[in-house]
Amino acid sequence: MSGYAEGILILLAINVVFAYGAFLPLAAGQLNLGLAAFAAIGAYSSAYVSNVYAIPALAAIPFGAFAAGIIALIVAVPVLRTRGIYLALATFALGQIVQATILNLGFLGGAAGYPVNEFIRLPFISAFTVAVVALVALLFGTRFGIAVTAVHDDERVADLMGIDVRAFQVTAFVVGSAIAGIAGGLYAHHFSYIEAQYFSVTLSITIVLNVLLGGTQTVIGPLLGAAMFTLLPELLRGSAHWRYVVFAAGLIVLMALRPEGLLTGDQLRQLFGWRRTDDEGSRMPREGPT
Amino acid sequence: MTAGRPILRFETVSKHFGGLSVIEDLTFAVRRGSRTGLIGPNGAGKTTVFNLITGVYPVDAGRIYLDADDITNVPSRRRIRNGVARSFQNVRLMRHLSTLENVLVGQHSRNGGLFGVLQPISLSARNRWREEARAGLADAGLAKYERATVGGLPYGVQKRIELVRALMAHPRLLLLDEPAAGLNPAETEALHTHLVQICRSGDITLLMVEHDMQFVGALCEELVVISFGRKIAEGTPQAVRQNLLVQEVYLGKPAVEQEREAVAESPLVAAGVSRAS
Amino acid sequence: MLSQQVVNGAMLGSVYAMVAVALTLSIGVLNFLNFSIPGLFMIGGMSSWALIHAGMPWPVAAAGALVITAAASLVVERFTWRWLRGAEHFVPLVSSMAFLIFFENLAIIYWGSDLRSVPILFSGADWRIAGLVVGVPQLVGLIGSVLLIWGLSLLLKRTRLGRGLRTIAEDSDTAMLLGVDIYRVVPFVFLMAGIFAAFGGIVFALNYRHVHPFMGEIVGLKGISAMIVGGMGNIWGSIAGGLVIGITEALAIGYLGSDFVDIAVYGLLLLILFVRPTGLFTGMQVARGGI
Repeated sequence: MSGYAEGILILLAINVVFAYGAFLPLAAGQLNLGLAAFAAIGAYSSAYVSNVYAIPALAAIPFGAFAAGIIALIVAVPVLRTRGIYLALATFALGQIVQATILNLGFLGGAAGYPVNEFIRLPFISAFTVAVVALVALLFGTRFGIAVTAVHDDERVADLMGIDVRAFQVTAFVVGSAIAGIAGGLYAHHFSYIEAQYFSVTLSITIVLNVLLGGTQTVIGPLLGAAMFTLLPELLRGSAHWRYVVFAAGLIVLMALRPEGLLTGDQLRQLFGWRRTDDEGSRMPREGPT
Repeated sequence: MTAGRPILRFETVSKHFGGLSVIEDLTFAVRRGSRTGLIGPNGAGKTTVFNLITGVYPVDAGRIYLDADDITNVPSRRRIRNGVARSFQNVRLMRHLSTLENVLVGQHSRNGGLFGVLQPISLSARNRWREEARAGLADAGLAKYERATVGGLPYGVQKRIELVRALMAHPRLLLLDEPAAGLNPAETEALHTHLVQICRSGDITLLMVEHDMQFVGALCEELVVISFGRKIAEGTPQAVRQNLLVQEVYLGKPAVEQEREAVAESPLVAAGVSRAS
Repeated sequence: MLSQQVVNGAMLGSVYAMVAVALTLSIGVLNFLNFSIPGLFMIGGMSSWALIHAGMPWPVAAAGALVITAAASLVVERFTWRWLRGAEHFVPLVSSMAFLIFFENLAIIYWGSDLRSVPILFSGADWRIAGLVVGVPQLVGLIGSVLLIWGLSLLLKRTRLGRGLRTIAEDSDTAMLLGVDIYRVVPFVFLMAGIFAAFGGIVFALNYRHVHPFMGEIVGLKGISAMIVGGMGNIWGSIAGGLVIGITEALAIGYLGSDFVDIAVYGLLLLILFVRPTGLFTGMQVARGGI
């Protein structure tokens, strides 16, 4: 495989993990604009232990995810007491604070950035990606997925049905942040150098937009969105910045025409050949007295 | 012996929003295993009563008993485990879930612990929870809508799905908020039959808010009438119908006066035929 | 010196206030958080630099920058709000975020990502008031902001357009029933948001004499803090919020060092969101006309 192709696939693999980090809270109806900060926590903590304690990446990266998850849990309780736009802004503020804090930590390189010693390649990275996708897919195949979607659709009724709305929101937030931590760890150990400036709010926004592109209704949506964001611009062969311009413009148009994203729950059911009963259902039933 | 104890009891419950008193000193009881109607003119506070029962609003005064349990201070999330489930005036299904998944939500209170939440319901070929949900839909004649996203389904179908969802919680008390509203005669008839069937075993008590008096009259054995947040009558439909206060509330004072005059002038009365009062 | 820092903070604060007013107008009237506004801030700043660089006198460059930014804002209107009445509530927010990324990267492509300097335009014209140094551009910025806000308040209180906006802020369906032509009135919100954001960018450019494509992300986003502190939908609150954030920043630089500025500013935002999300200054909403 050419170095170029491998580079693209690595980027795709990492972006997919990132996307699932954003997907979890979005599925529960929350916007995490501080996502990049949790990726940063994962990146820096995994890089630190692998640099300083010579812990192999295989263990360092999960450690980074764990660190991100713990921090997410600590902040989730006060942050998730806010709602809607306030929640999004609280996560945004959180992200900025984490980024600024990391910039100040001299032993992590500060503004000059932090080099990472261990180097990982595509097979290793894609193993993590597959694991994350499998984990989320499995999770959403359980009652967890149904409960989370219920919370997203109608918190009041979900509560009356006995679903602990707060618990599910916190769980989605924490797991999503931990997944973002994995993405950060993968990024750190492949690109061999991380700087706090990279983990900005625009990164968070970009990842969220990836997920919205693919659609939040299905578990495959984030995969689709990340794939489109990563692969499509390669066909256009523009500079990195044109990629963002086209992506943003495309998303704006998509939101105007089809806000639910590329793949809806309905379409997924159709795609797998399950009987589409809508058409039948929308006609009045023929049985019964006429 | 539990047979004599009412399944639901309101004891001098009051609720106000700001300065407005919506429920005033309300006391009533619902007989176990009965089909009871909660009726009253618009704005009487009927849906508020439901919201108090399910814990959406806390009471300002008084107590609510569900069977032997005082649920007055139980958080809304837990009340379904006490055995009360409800349907909603404007159908509130989860629009991003399929019919089957919506019904599965109804089971959450029985299967919501850590182990239950991680059950691979949508993944495994045979799963007793999914089978139970599918059976529930089949019993209601809704099997063919299983995979459909609820958002696109007709209103009458959605209402029936909501009923199946509520039943999945195995409630002892089922609250129905205007179950017949928006249904055509055929659907109303089917609903009546379904509800009679549900209550036959005596394990479920039905309390419904309804405006369709024919439906209420045909289905309900007992009525509670409220107006402006106060109870004005309680009893069988016949007794309630003849209660002058109820008549006044529904027909208005002048109409009641006209009724009385008409009766007084009736040749039957003159002939000595007495009229039950 | 404390008072000098407060003055500097107030100057910075007026920049944040401009962005905050633009944001608060959008939230107050249209009920969505318009993330493109920091991007418009950047466009205002960078295009004023570009026009000065091309040789125009600064008032002309400023006017040109206002026009360019207003046009950009109307493009945003067309693609976030106009097509999307009745769509899912998050859509305008998401589209506006996409616009931020769009503008930022377009600017990088067109102008490069380096810092650009704005030449000294007002040499030696510093005023000394009570021992404090106030530069001419700072004064221009301050007076200009006050005039703009005053003009906005007049518009909202006295004109038909303003009444229409306040009615929409109250309830857009009722507004339509009352005969307010939403499709004619709403573009003005975007127009004004663009003007305020651009003005903030221009003042920043003239005062701090540097611009770059990331200035929306780094400076403009702090306008969100100012808006929240002042209370969403509250225009005078935005001024106050801007001043609070600006002064907080100046004091943080003075006493904690520039490394801690962002922590201080966003820490304050987080605190307000936890403790008093409606903002410090309540009671004056766009809808009620008491701006």
